[in-house]
Amino acid sequence: MIEVERLTKRYGKTVAVDDLTFRVESGRITGFLGPNGAGKTTTLKAVLALIRPTSGETKVLGRHYRDLDDPVRKVGAVLETSRYHPGRSGRNHLRVVAAQAGIARQRVEEVLELVALKDAARRRVGGYSLGMRQRLGLATALLGDPEVLILDEPANGLDPAGIRWLRDLLRQLAARGHTILISSHVLAEVEQIVDEVVIIHRGRFVTQSSTAALAAQVSAGVRVRSPEAERLRAALAAEGMTVAALDDGVLGVSEGTAERVGELAAANGIVLHELTPQKATLEEAFLELTGGETTT
Amino acid sequence: MRLLQAEALKVRTAPRTLLGLVLALMALDVLGSGSTASGGGPDFVPNADEIVTFDVLTVATTGVIFALILGILIVTWEYRHGTITQTFLATPQRERVMAAKYAVSFGTGAILTALSVVVVLVTALFWISPVLHRDQWELIGRLVVASALWGILGAGLGALIQSQVGAIIAAFVWFLVVEPLIGVRFEHFADYLPGAVIDRLTGHEVSAEHTQEATQYSFGLWTAGLLAAVYALGAAVLGAASAAWRDIS
Repeated sequence: MIEVERLTKRYGKTVAVDDLTFRVESGRITGFLGPNGAGKTTTLKAVLALIRPTSGETKVLGRHYRDLDDPVRKVGAVLETSRYHPGRSGRNHLRVVAAQAGIARQRVEEVLELVALKDAARRRVGGYSLGMRQRLGLATALLGDPEVLILDEPANGLDPAGIRWLRDLLRQLAARGHTILISSHVLAEVEQIVDEVVIIHRGRFVTQSSTAALAAQVSAGVRVRSPEAERLRAALAAEGMTVAALDDGVLGVSEGTAERVGELAAANGIVLHELTPQKATLEEAFLELTGGETTT
Repeated sequence: MRLLQAEALKVRTAPRTLLGLVLALMALDVLGSGSTASGGGPDFVPNADEIVTFDVLTVATTGVIFALILGILIVTWEYRHGTITQTFLATPQRERVMAAKYAVSFGTGAILTALSVVVVLVTALFWISPVLHRDQWELIGRLVVASALWGILGAGLGALIQSQVGAIIAAFVWFLVVEPLIGVRFEHFADYLPGAVIDRLTGHEVSAEHTQEATQYSFGLWTAGLLAAVYALGAAVLGAASAAWRDIS
């Protein structure tokens, strides 16, 4: 479990994280979302004791990261800033971390296999593609078979096949009871992987909920199709609903429910061919909650 | 122990950097040692062989500078390449990481100069006696100790400055510009500065019978060793405190 309690981090006059509180429960995949500059990486770094909070505190598995015994075996992390010595091979990079954590060399070969880097293991990391570096980062994080994984933008640099591979891998890990916190700006990706999301904006907490509940929080309106679209449009507009003509005979109704649109159509004797409540995607929910700022 | 193994493995698995450094040192050793060959010849004075051997060993003091640079690299290449993040994730007690780096810098410093001594002596075997006497062995010992301590000084400086180029430039500016300038103004005080202390520790007092250039020093070898250790430990403590305190960006 990961706890962030009233975390604030200032750099001079800039407030990167502002009184942020949230909690990530065990055995779940949680998406950590926010526009660029929202404070996601700063928060993760504070959790991992890489930066010193201005105030507040963070805990992993009930303890400060610094106080964990054998942190590599408890928490695996891939940070956006994870980098490697370019002259060292992928295998040697893992061997260094394994030596530091007292992990057997056999495990290095296992994780290389797991992230499909065995063939490139002898090559210098300087020649790796971004995707291969991401895989090496994941291999490093998985080296100690940790209970908690903290991944900052792990899909960055992966091709579609790589993203699918990552998704499958994370699902497998979650099924085995791992706790995963994953920050990403690829919202469509997160939507397919995570159980719940924590959204922050300008360093502040916005919301935490399941993906389904989050999408439901945001009304995306109703799609309605009728041979008498113009009459229906007038009737709906008279009720104060915002109506847009989407296509021939198709109307998009915002700020209205399917029930209300159906009732109004029936009351006016208008035939409907389609009446579909629109589900907001996580992306739309996110944009609405963060004031429409893009995340890239 | 794990940390020491990991730090030693880091040095061993960065072959290009290490190889470049060792090759550059050996090249300088061979050239420097070769230049002492002119010490022989028809005007050879009695006991000159002994003096030439001292001169040959003095060439190996280059190893001390390389030990300092390697110490700087052992810390700063982690910051330069961003691997410090992974290192501190695996061992969040940063002062322990720094202690391991200092230990490895101490060892690599000693090894570099030991290697340097072997190279200069082997190169000079054609014109010096292969048998070293006690004073010469003692000088070798002092060179190795000085290198080991300057390895720590380099690592401490690296941790303090974090920038690889910045730390190397700072070291050179200090030893080549700042110290000599202080020496001009405060001659006696300057003897106690790091560069002068290491010169004392790695210098040799050949008796006046043999050369007119015997240097007069303000203090003895033990004091020089102690001062060098104080400087190395001071840099180490400041470096560790800096590494422990500062955020990883």
